[in-house]
Amino acid sequence: MHGDAVALFFYSDLFLRHPDTRELFPVSMSAQRDRLLQALGRIVAEADRLAELGPFLQDLGRDHRRFGAIADHYGPVGESLLATLAHFSGEDWTPDLAAEWTSAYQLVAQVMTDAAAIDARRNPASWDATVLSHELRTFDIAVIRVATVQPVKYLPGQSVAVESPVRPRLWRYYSMANAPREDSTLEFHVRMIDGGPVSMALTRSTPVGSWLRLGAPVGTLTLDTSSRRDVLLVGGSTGLAPVKAILEQLSDLPSPPRTHLFAGARNAEGLYDMPDLEKLAASAPWLQVTGCVFDDPDYRGERGHLPDVVARHGPWTGCDAYLAGSTAMTTAVASRLTELGVPAYQIHVEDFGWSES
Amino acid sequence: MTVMSRADQRLTPDVVQSVTFPTTRLGRRGLDEDHVRVFCKQVELELIRLLNERTSLQEEVRRLRARVLGREVDGPGYRREDAHIQAVGILSKAQVTADQYVADAQAYSRALAEDARRRRDEILGEARAHAAMVLQEAHERGQQAAQAALAAAPVAGAPGADARRGNLEAELAYLRTFSDVYRTHLRAYLDALLRNVDEWERSERSAVADVQAQLAPALSRAVPGPRLDL
Repeated sequence: MHGDAVALFFYSDLFLRHPDTRELFPVSMSAQRDRLLQALGRIVAEADRLAELGPFLQDLGRDHRRFGAIADHYGPVGESLLATLAHFSGEDWTPDLAAEWTSAYQLVAQVMTDAAAIDARRNPASWDATVLSHELRTFDIAVIRVATVQPVKYLPGQSVAVESPVRPRLWRYYSMANAPREDSTLEFHVRMIDGGPVSMALTRSTPVGSWLRLGAPVGTLTLDTSSRRDVLLVGGSTGLAPVKAILEQLSDLPSPPRTHLFAGARNAEGLYDMPDLEKLAASAPWLQVTGCVFDDPDYRGERGHLPDVVARHGPWTGCDAYLAGSTAMTTAVASRLTELGVPAYQIHVEDFGWSES
Repeated sequence: MTVMSRADQRLTPDVVQSVTFPTTRLGRRGLDEDHVRVFCKQVELELIRLLNERTSLQEEVRRLRARVLGREVDGPGYRREDAHIQAVGILSKAQVTADQYVADAQAYSRALAEDARRRRDEILGEARAHAAMVLQEAHERGQQAAQAALAAAPVAGAPGADARRGNLEAELAYLRTFSDVYRTHLRAYLDALLRNVDEWERSERSAVADVQAQLAPALSRAVPGPRLDL
């Protein structure tokens, strides 16, 4: 019995019984099937440890709100899930087994819908945002400023899932590049990934006045406000966005800590936000900004990969470090800092990877 | 186990596989043991085949019986369930096809974007190299001109105002030659750009004409007679 065949049967069964549910999913379902199997696998593996499973299911229930899932959908999904299990079990499917699965599913659905209902009292299912400006800083990096109708309550460094009407039902995570503002405007830095459907739509087909849909803020790369240590901020390419948001938060403090921000890119063109960062540094004596590139012999500033450049400017042992960028870059910088004697609890890394499309 | 044929004991592949025969006493004629073993293996395999066939036939009978009975008792219900499974199969096939198309389109767009990115880097690299070359050439020829100007000065190397004048003339010669060379390259570059724009305009015009020529008959065919009068 092949996993993908099971998921395929499940969705086909669901869409045939309840055609309206098809609208909730993207055209291509292959990623969706993987996600279903992963979630099911986890639920089955941890079914006897509901305490551990609980938070996962609650997150799942809350997260499903942005997809337009409502409590009424859980019945049909359970029905199709049972039909799928029955189909693939064949002769082995017994009324006892059916009853067991039914009650297990009801429990899972209950936890998910309860979490969703509690969340609904505080937050909308998703946030509509209008594009106020769209600036193509390089041929493949756009800075997009949006305004939401309802304010998004988030901590600097966090991200939201973003959906473009050009690519309905496809969500990718992007970090806000600013601390929360009075006027509910948010800034995103989007790099076009070759062949990435969402990033291409956001960099190329998102004119001023168009709208985007945002999910609830997530992410743990947030400022440790109890710390009195100096701060090291490192952003590779558009990984600059979350650390710039943290920088804004620092600049609002009555007495900001000594802060050094490193922005890294392949070439000078890739340092798409240097003018703004340098302007900030010019008016803030506590802030130092360093841009560096690793593949541009003509560049007059720092040259080299981020781990090496950051290491050259140490020592960092007394610093809180906040790193964001590709997994390869953040891993390399984090391990270099550890080698240099920075304790692990002082190193904060954007920990869901980042959207590669 | 030896062969002990009994009416109540069915012959199974196991029995055939584990059968042994007592050896003949010396001096009497007996069977070739290897021949017997090979034959027993054949019998065993044949039995397995027959039993498998019987199982699948039984299954077929059960299924057909269920269908016949089901039709008599609740015909349409059984068929509806059957049709649903078929529909699920068809929808699943359609979905897999759609998934494949999306994946292909994405792969194609990735390849295009990667190609464009590579060519952009190449063009930029060439342009930078060319610019460096132009500067270098202008510089060298300017220097030559400056040296020639110095050599031509009647009081080359003399102290005081004449020397200063000689140096200024050399500098002037350098700058004049430098800008000459630079202007020549710039003109060639702009000419090439203009040619590109002309070429672009020409090809666009002919492409539009081609499309219109192709569409005209198709359009008149597609629109039924009476509508043409509207």
